[in-house]
Amino acid sequence: MAARRSSKQGAKGSPAEGKATTGAPEGAAGGPAASNENHEFVAEAEEILERMLEDLAELHDQRHESASGEVDPDLVNQIFRSAHSLKGLAGMFGLDAISELSHRLEDILDGLRLGKVAFDSPAVDLLDDGVSLLTTMMTRLERGDANGDDEVEMARGFVAQIDAAIAGAVPEPSDDLESLDLDASLLRALTEYEEHRLKENLRRGRHLALVDSTFEIAAFEEGLSELSAAVREVGEVVSTLPSPGDAPESQIRFSLLVATSVDAARLASRLDFPDTEVHLVKEGDASAEAPPAESPAPPSDASQPASTEAPAPAGPSASEPSPPADGGGDAPEIESLRSISDTVRVDIRKLDELMNLVGELVIQRNAIGTVAQRLTEDVATARIGAELAKTHKALDRKLKELQTGVLDVRMVPLRQIFEKLSRVVRRLRRDLGKEVDLEFVGADTELDKLIVEQLVDPLVHIVRNAFDHALETPEERTAAGKDPHGRITVAASQRGNHVVIEVQDDGRGMDPAAILEKAIARGLVAESDQLSEKEILNLVFEAGLSTASQISATSGRGVGMDVVRNNLAEMGGMVDLASTPGRGTTVTITLPITLAIIQALIVAIREERFAIPLNSVLETMVVEPDQIGRSEGREVLNLRGEPLLLRRLGEEFEIPCAGPEERQFVVVLGMGEQRLGLLVDRLEGQQDTVIKPIKGPLQQIRGIAGATELADRGAILVIDVSAIVGDVIRRREAA
Amino acid sequence: MSESTTTEAMGGADWESLARGAASDFRGEGEESVFLLRELLVFGLDRSAYAVPVERVREIVRMRELTMIPRAPAWLLGVVALRGEVVEVVDLRRRLGLGASIPDRSNRIIVLHGDADRVTGLLVDSVSEVYRIADEAVLPAQGLDTPSVSEVCPRGDEFVSILDVDRALGGADV
Repeated sequence: MAARRSSKQGAKGSPAEGKATTGAPEGAAGGPAASNENHEFVAEAEEILERMLEDLAELHDQRHESASGEVDPDLVNQIFRSAHSLKGLAGMFGLDAISELSHRLEDILDGLRLGKVAFDSPAVDLLDDGVSLLTTMMTRLERGDANGDDEVEMARGFVAQIDAAIAGAVPEPSDDLESLDLDASLLRALTEYEEHRLKENLRRGRHLALVDSTFEIAAFEEGLSELSAAVREVGEVVSTLPSPGDAPESQIRFSLLVATSVDAARLASRLDFPDTEVHLVKEGDASAEAPPAESPAPPSDASQPASTEAPAPAGPSASEPSPPADGGGDAPEIESLRSISDTVRVDIRKLDELMNLVGELVIQRNAIGTVAQRLTEDVATARIGAELAKTHKALDRKLKELQTGVLDVRMVPLRQIFEKLSRVVRRLRRDLGKEVDLEFVGADTELDKLIVEQLVDPLVHIVRNAFDHALETPEERTAAGKDPHGRITVAASQRGNHVVIEVQDDGRGMDPAAILEKAIARGLVAESDQLSEKEILNLVFEAGLSTASQISATSGRGVGMDVVRNNLAEMGGMVDLASTPGRGTTVTITLPITLAIIQALIVAIREERFAIPLNSVLETMVVEPDQIGRSEGREVLNLRGEPLLLRRLGEEFEIPCAGPEERQFVVVLGMGEQRLGLLVDRLEGQQDTVIKPIKGPLQQIRGIAGATELADRGAILVIDVSAIVGDVIRRREAA
Repeated sequence: MSESTTTEAMGGADWESLARGAASDFRGEGEESVFLLRELLVFGLDRSAYAVPVERVREIVRMRELTMIPRAPAWLLGVVALRGEVVEVVDLRRRLGLGASIPDRSNRIIVLHGDADRVTGLLVDSVSEVYRIADEAVLPAQGLDTPSVSEVCPRGDEFVSILDVDRALGGADV
């Protein structure tokens, strides 16, 4: 994310900034004006690219899943339109390289939709690569740089590759459409694409029908899209054509050329709309029954005298429907325009500001609560205090709703990440030649946009690891009596205020003995340590431990899992691991739904207060001095039969604190599999807090995650639980 | 907010263009040199006068409750909450090698714009005035052994030490 401009009140001469609008073309002037313009481009283009990625993933899925390798033509159209919009957009901003590249992608897609390029052609793989290249170029622009020669060069090379791939495109055999019982004028009105779809459907042996319907001009769009939607449930609308003008002034007639695999009777029953008739044009291959029912041309609508006007594609009164000659897919266009118009794109920083405001309101609310409390305690003001307390409660409720509302806006489905993962896996499949199926569950699970952004890298890393290390080669799998196809499942689900993501593979599993051996060799643990199997497995999250005996380009050299854990910990997340040798490994990630507002436990040592994020607190309890035992010089507590390592927060932070003879509170912290009891003087309750980022030198202080403001107590520091727990555990292991 | 004085309250932020405008008024025909005014916020510390460029100052606030920071270097006194923002406060005395401050109610915190959108507070004894001085009257600080002071300028009988703000706020321990 770009750094926010500091808000110095226009200290510098403003005339220099005023000339941003003198439309400087791309490249040459890489000044602030140019990068600003590009920012607009990137914001818009990013959305298009994301959509393309999603649709491409869907396209690959359909291609693999359907036996005949058939892909929904609407999907191809959609990607085609995305490439087309991107081309136009880039052209508008004068970004020639991007425009050219999008143009070629559009060519491939056009070839696909017209049947000139086969779906198993190498050109289809080029689509993925092309979109990746576009993403790279876009990232560069977002950083404010113009695209350098290397990118332009790459794009150019790529364009040549595409040209080569689609050079062999063959024109479709000219099937004999004349023999169809269709009006010649209707056939002539078909676009190239529609003609291709017609042939394609005939080749697949589907029934062909003509659906004639009459609508009131005033409301025909709605009626037509309802009818088209109904058709799409059972088949495909090959073409929508305005019919010859035998309809009265206020009405308009359309003919829908429909391909379907359901029979005429069922089609007719599905399309039970007023003023609508279904005629079978050509029976599919399944069986040869009765010939087409009637002449498909002007349907005999008894009440209306047949007009002799020549059948023209665009009737005189039909100015709204775009003539079909301009490239297909009119009806879906109407829909997509609608869906865009009720969506608003918002800069995430604006949402951050909103969230900050809500956070401040939360603090003010807490302050009001305190005042109300104080008023109630004094007899003289008790009544007014009670009233204020009531108002405070009402405010509290509304504020919670507001908070939920704002949080809700920040939520995005995990689907986006899943698309990225499937792209990674597709590429790995190609590069490593392993057969792996990737399955997603719970793509609609929502998370804070910021978390989703930060989650991409760790998740890609885990999936890559599974692909590269955990899954065996097809030969190994066959030898082990397994399906040669490996399987990786990524499943997300919401549990209360957390989202749990499980990455599961059915690979070789992890060998605890090998990990332990390596960990001992690296000095991470002592030979004498008594570690549970789970503890041993979790050692892979330690820095410098990789179980892969070979270094590969895919998973690198074992820097990774520790970074994964740290990245997740920064978001307040945890990662855990379970494995059965020979059966597979499951990595479980638990994340808070949002980072914006957290519940914190306020603790105190003498007069110093700290906030501990509640999501890492397992429980709290009082401990009397005599309950604290010692083991190897460290304080431990017997917690329901399990030893719990204790640490005094005061000692950790070098604050003069209570001696061992005083009663203490223990806060049991959990980070993944690790537990630590933190001893504090007092617990001061829970509070909703907004963590403020620390921007100065404090950033580097270990153990402090940030600061927050409490209503009546000024600033208070938030403890970085993962750092504290990690440090204490490491020190114990080092000892 | 009566206790804080923002740069706006001191008469607009665009000091540089004001100064340039004033300078061009004074300039005679054919004169080569450009006469520039500098705006400095002068404050007292350890009975001496120091200054920072006004355009770096965001606001001046009274001393308020400081939250100490464990594990922090000694010159980082703590943090204060400022209308929903958490601001780190640097002990300028320590930064300048004058020993530790013992802050009380009379102290002031000058909140400065740092790099990017960072803001940092500087703990000082008192704030005296905004001082305007011709650029030519500012001299490089030579022979002073504190790297945080980059320039000096005369003010009446005494000299004012002008801080290099980025050094004074910088991360490296002194």
